[in-house]
Amino acid sequence: MAVIRTEGLVKDYGKVRALAGVDLDVAEGEIFGFVGPNGAGKTTTIRVLLDLLRPTAGRAEVFGVTPVQGGPSLRARIGYLPGELAMSGRRTAGDLLRHLASLRGGAGGNRIGALSERFGLDLNRPIRSLSKGNKQKVGVVQAFMHGPELLILDEPTSGLDPLLQRECLDLMREARDGGATVFMSSHVLGEIEDVAGRVAIIRDGVIVDVDDVGALRSRAGQVVELRFSGRVDIDEFRNLPGVRDVTLDGSTMRCMLHGEPDALLKAAARHRVLAWSAHERELEDLFIDFYRGPSDRRQPEEVTFDGR
Amino acid sequence: MAAETVPVLAGVMREQRRPLVLWGLALTAVSTLYIAIYPTMGIDEMASMVDNLPEALINALNYDEIGTAAGYISSTVYGLLGPALLLIFAIATGTRLVAGQEEDGTLELELTAPVSRTRVLLERVAALWCNVAVLVAVVAVVTIVLAAVLDLDVTVGNVLAASTGLLLLVLGFGTVGLAAGAITGRRAIGLGVAAGLAVLAFMLNAIAPTVEAEWMTIVSPFSWFLDGRPLATGFDLSRLALLATVPVLAVAAAVVGFRRRDLMV
Ligand SMILES: Nc1ncnc2c1ncn2[C@@H]1O[C@H](COP(=O)(O)OP(=O)(O)O)[C@@H](O)[C@H]1O
Ligand SMILES: [Mg+2]
Repeated sequence: MAVIRTEGLVKDYGKVRALAGVDLDVAEGEIFGFVGPNGAGKTTTIRVLLDLLRPTAGRAEVFGVTPVQGGPSLRARIGYLPGELAMSGRRTAGDLLRHLASLRGGAGGNRIGALSERFGLDLNRPIRSLSKGNKQKVGVVQAFMHGPELLILDEPTSGLDPLLQRECLDLMREARDGGATVFMSSHVLGEIEDVAGRVAIIRDGVIVDVDDVGALRSRAGQVVELRFSGRVDIDEFRNLPGVRDVTLDGSTMRCMLHGEPDALLKAAARHRVLAWSAHERELEDLFIDFYRGPSDRRQPEEVTFDGR
Repeated sequence: MAAETVPVLAGVMREQRRPLVLWGLALTAVSTLYIAIYPTMGIDEMASMVDNLPEALINALNYDEIGTAAGYISSTVYGLLGPALLLIFAIATGTRLVAGQEEDGTLELELTAPVSRTRVLLERVAALWCNVAVLVAVVAVVTIVLAAVLDLDVTVGNVLAASTGLLLLVLGFGTVGLAAGAITGRRAIGLGVAAGLAVLAFMLNAIAPTVEAEWMTIVSPFSWFLDGRPLATGFDLSRLALLATVPVLAVAAAVVGFRRRDLMV
């Protein structure tokens, strides 16, 4: 059974269309990545799932019921970490967490101590004195403490240092191993590629791709660089199958290659090749392709390779 | 335990402890000050003071009865400063407890917890009402104690009657502010609506005798509260019932509006 399913989900904020027909299908027991640039519609989708927002059109279901029908008993099965977690006040982190447990009829109250210790969260500090990272820890603890069947995490690792990011990802794996489903959003694919099984990429309120992380990676293609002994004509390479974004810099040609290299190698073999290199692209670069969209292809030189 | 049966209410009361104590102290100080100076003002002094005032002002402040203890306390603590301070507290708190905390995002975890929207709203209304009730009780206790100490001609029953009216008056505007915020999701709208209506109601009650417009006293909750002169005459259930309709209707509207709209936008 699908834990989360949306069909043609549309959400308008007044005249702004934030979601333009989102289709999602998240299966039980998977860690599902929901990735897209800022403003793509991740938070909007998530807020529909939690019944903060009501769909303009289309349908959303969690555990087979709409968020409105499901009401409190549906939310009892969910652990939620908001994208922009706002907390204030003089009360301590421990007080707040105990209060949040009391809203769940006490569920999770007994795990506050252990989880906080794991994240190095001081429960005796007043909320308003906590740094952004420490507030994020409070958010993580409250999302996981009651051992929910479904975790909906909106950019969970933002604001955490790398060590705690890893701790948070470990927590997700543990939850999944215990049978829970995890639905997490991020605007950085690299952040979740280690943990997610499947990933949906959202852009301008539409899902543009859903696939295994592995398949996405293989589809990301390679960057090929060929250095020739003399000048070559860029048109010889431009329209080869699987070849994209060809640029010529003196006698060095660079391009992006998807699929078999056969045609490219045969075309290159007509010249004397002094040097060649081909390296796998990172998922992050694929993601940048989606960001750019078909109408805005920049030259590959501008694609950054930061080794994520 | 309150934390289990009414967790939202318990959470708000915890947060409100400090402001409640501070407001309680402020109201104690103001009430004490005004009531304590009453015996030092001679009847003649008071009468000559009143004679020198324009009639409109005398009407507006109910100073025509200022010569009696009940009239004096009614014109100062119960009819002017008490309502003013309590309304500021109730409207500021009521609009913050729903719209304000929704706007600043602090309500998000509560709204996504396994608690219905109706329950979040009703428990937050209840929190506002408890807070206001505590502060009105402070005013009532100060009045009763000082009346006894200074041997003023004001009965405990009449103080309770006036306090009930004051409570319902303040709950009315405070709940209207909470409701306008809950329906729109905008604290500023709640503040504007509630403060605007409160000032309007006060003005209508104040100028009604001068301009001799009875409709003004018919529509103004301030008139419903003060016209029966509760400190002098005691409980008037029909007037109290009328005052009680305001918070009740405001809650009903708030529930309907809060359940149907998008939250946190
Ligand atoms: N409260 C709002 N009012 C109007 N537009 C909004 C509101 N919230 C989000 N949007 C718009 O909806 C789109 C999707 O936003 P959001 O769901 O927050 O994206 P993401 O979480 O992927 O960054 C953006 O264009 C954003 O500007
Ligand atoms: Mg977001």
